[in-house]
Amino acid sequence: MSKNQNRFDAMMTPELRDMIARAKHLEKWPLARLISLFETNTEQAKQDRHSVMSSLKGSAKNGLILGITGTPGAGKSSLIGELCLSLLAEKPELNIAVLAVDPSSQRSGGALLGDRTRTNFPINDKRLFFRSQASDLDLGGVGKKTYQVTRLLRQLFDIIIIETVGIGQSEIEVEQLSDHTCLVLQPLAGDQVQFMKAGIMEVPDTFIINKCDEDSLAKRSYHLLKTSLKLVNVSLNKHNENSKSVFLTSATKQKGIDELTHFLLQLESDSSVRKDRQTQEYFYLGKWIQQEFGRFGLTLFNQSVKTALTSQQSYEEKENTLFEMMKKMIPSLSR
Amino acid sequence: MTEQNKHTIYGKDGKPTVDRPWIFRTYAGHTNVWATNALYKDNLSKGQTGLSIAMDLATQCGYSSDHPIAKPEIGKVGVPINTLDDFHVLFEGIPLEEMNTSMTINGTAMWLLSLYVALAEERGVEVSQLRGTTQNDLIKEYLARGTYIFPPEDSMRLIVDMYEYSLHNIPSWNASNICSYHLQEAGATPVQELAFALVTSITILDAIKERDCFNEEEFERCVGRISFFVNAGMRFVEEVSKMRAFCEMWDEITQERYGVKNAKYRRFRYGVQVNSLGLTAEQPENNAWRILIETLGVTLSRKARCRALQLPAWNEALSLPRPWDQQWSLRIQQILAYETDLLEYPDILEGSVVIESKVKELKEQAYTEINQVLELGGGVEAVKSGYMKSALVSSQSKRMGRLANGEQIVVGKNKWVEGLPSPLVNDGDGGIFMVDAKAAQKTLEALEETKRTRDDARVKAALVRLEEEAKSDNNLMEASIECAKARVTTGEWSETLRNVFGEYRPPTGVDGQNMSIKEDNASLVSVRAKIDTFIKTYGYRPRIVVGKPGLDGHSNGAEMISVAAKHAGFDVIYFGIRLSSVDIVQSALEENVDVIGVSLLSGSHNEIMTQLFEELDKNGAKDAIPVILGGIIPEPDHVGLKEQGVKRIFTPKDFDPMTVMGEIMDVINEQKSK
Repeated sequence: MSKNQNRFDAMMTPELRDMIARAKHLEKWPLARLISLFETNTEQAKQDRHSVMSSLKGSAKNGLILGITGTPGAGKSSLIGELCLSLLAEKPELNIAVLAVDPSSQRSGGALLGDRTRTNFPINDKRLFFRSQASDLDLGGVGKKTYQVTRLLRQLFDIIIIETVGIGQSEIEVEQLSDHTCLVLQPLAGDQVQFMKAGIMEVPDTFIINKCDEDSLAKRSYHLLKTSLKLVNVSLNKHNENSKSVFLTSATKQKGIDELTHFLLQLESDSSVRKDRQTQEYFYLGKWIQQEFGRFGLTLFNQSVKTALTSQQSYEEKENTLFEMMKKMIPSLSR
Repeated sequence: MTEQNKHTIYGKDGKPTVDRPWIFRTYAGHTNVWATNALYKDNLSKGQTGLSIAMDLATQCGYSSDHPIAKPEIGKVGVPINTLDDFHVLFEGIPLEEMNTSMTINGTAMWLLSLYVALAEERGVEVSQLRGTTQNDLIKEYLARGTYIFPPEDSMRLIVDMYEYSLHNIPSWNASNICSYHLQEAGATPVQELAFALVTSITILDAIKERDCFNEEEFERCVGRISFFVNAGMRFVEEVSKMRAFCEMWDEITQERYGVKNAKYRRFRYGVQVNSLGLTAEQPENNAWRILIETLGVTLSRKARCRALQLPAWNEALSLPRPWDQQWSLRIQQILAYETDLLEYPDILEGSVVIESKVKELKEQAYTEINQVLELGGGVEAVKSGYMKSALVSSQSKRMGRLANGEQIVVGKNKWVEGLPSPLVNDGDGGIFMVDAKAAQKTLEALEETKRTRDDARVKAALVRLEEEAKSDNNLMEASIECAKARVTTGEWSETLRNVFGEYRPPTGVDGQNMSIKEDNASLVSVRAKIDTFIKTYGYRPRIVVGKPGLDGHSNGAEMISVAAKHAGFDVIYFGIRLSSVDIVQSALEENVDVIGVSLLSGSHNEIMTQLFEELDKNGAKDAIPVILGGIIPEPDHVGLKEQGVKRIFTPKDFDPMTVMGEIMDVINEQKSK
């Protein structure tokens, strides 16, 4: 990043202007191309991100970011498919985006993104947008790229569902990113034990035991979960202040979907269920600084550099300001 | 009585005898019911006694010919069947009571059996006299062939309904036919073929036991009705051992697990189609020898000899075979059966220590695999969890890797590739079997006519009854037969059950797969370098969406391309099978991909690519997102497809996956530099 510019051109290409205008109406391809800008690592893309975010200011929504995570085979994709249809049936004016994140191969860097095969969305419905994303080599499944895309999506959609494969660390990451996190479990699969070992059980706001095709199975699973959670001082008792909700669902048998739908609609309409966007921004800026400049950079960032940022700046401008300041402190960077 | 020797077959009367040959079969059906009826009558007049009916993909997937997804497929890989009126034409002048009718039908098997029963009743033929088979093996459809419709539990229910109905009403009907054939085509090793086919039969028999609808004697007869459809490849010593292992294991399983006392009902009865997967598009004349060698695996051992045999044609890797190509394959069987002395001897492998040891090893490994699946909860669970599918995709990836690395030699493909040009592929018709477009119109008109003249109230009542009974635990056969008589259409029957059971999409098995190509493989190194340069230039990883438009469910090719693309370093969006052109285009737009990869084997590529480009054009993306095509695409069609806009066409000749990936990168770079 040697040719850094502190300012961004106010000018936009007509192509980008047109893309933004059409993306605001949720036209598939222009929107998809904007999303790509938020996944692209070039100076031009950064400039464009700044332009996009600036021109969305004012008219934008503040959508609910819902993290849905769980082990492979818990049936997340099918459940999300059913939920989206159910949410729209209940509240037809909603717009929903699904961002399905799958891991990249350590060997080739490539990724096989197969979640699309498991959804059954109606064709050409602007209210539903599905996008697959590779996690790159970011530990924990979701990372900077996912955060970047949510910056855009939450301006345009009422609900943004981030689907990730949970294998430990990623629950913590997805929680950072989401306003509300759901952990999807299989009935009686023993996932609970694994998650407890990894210290994950405290993380999610809501538990979903999916594939509860039979009632007896659902009941037994519920009690197993309750007992497991007691061990880590998490309560499922509704009268308890720190209690968490549990839903028993079956995507194939259409069970529990209505209850979960109503719960999610409540979250969507409750503006207090939104994380502080600035805290999130600082978290990812801090992560970036740490990646580029190590612990030294992060210490500086937390102690003093942060104060140089203003709330008027876009994320991209903040990045540039920080980089300029780091350059002053590490003169060799300017060479 | 004269002294008997060990190299002669003796009949029950103690006199020397020779075996009768297996049944020579030809899988046939195309264009429309009139053309197919004429074909059958012609075959029967030449002495053929059984019919093996090929249906088109719309019929197999439960769509009437007038459905948009059906139109490109009408009459392509088989005959279209919409209503009972079509069956009347198809079997016109053919005595049902004398026929052994085998139908390659799965997702809609109950419907086709209902039509057959209704036809017999309307013709005044005693239903109990009917003989034949409905393929009806849904597990292998989820794993390999793709013409499933309903979720696994509901499919099992329909299968058990058919066994129950058949045993009581059509005692000589095989309600299903367990296919390991398609598993081998999808990459299964001999052990996987043994294990997964036997797991399928266990799953069906367990479900029948659970229904508890037969007494002991009936259950034994029911076990006796289970038959198999097997594959045989080039490694014929291993294949003959596999067949012996099959026979022994079936005898053991039926005896130990199900307590079948009558040895007659424990016999492993099987038909064969030999392997097409190993046939090459390069030097295709060599395939004639390959087919002959593959035939040995299922005929050499008398004890494990097939009951019926059908052979692929030498040019299957190039296009759908013509009648002459099929005749050439039939001649192989006739020469083996009538010119050689094979049928004059008892089992020539009996007592071979080598074969015995090989059989033992295969059995041990297969039992281990069977127990593994049963521990996972059985066949249905192993479909739903993707366990079996992943195992197959993994085997297929390994096979691709061995071919690319040159560890497995295929003559003319990766070794001795230089040769004189083949005079066989230069025929005037270019080796393609063309379906007349007007023939589809005749099918549509007949459907229209039936719909116009039928009793709408009876149709409605029949469908309501079908729906009600589907929701209950009742056997669905009677309600289904009434639908047939009321002139319900294939699409209406399926749609009604879709609404009750839902539609199923099984796991794709591609997640987490790798390709075992050596890291220093030249084409791998080259494509990775191209991808690195791309990432440095454009700031992101190239994205490709891979999917199969239309109804063709042979997903091998698409799966291998996806796994290979990931291995090269692409971000791959795998979208699976049975997609419309609109589905594929929407996925390409939402995912903002750099290239669309489409795989097609059913011969409907011209129609489907036209639809795809129209849809891209409608979205203003026709010149922006390049399209590549893979599959069995006959050479003469390439020019037209490229004129339409297809950037590259890959056929079975392109066996090195990383060379293919390199070319796909070239397509992307050409697009970027526009």
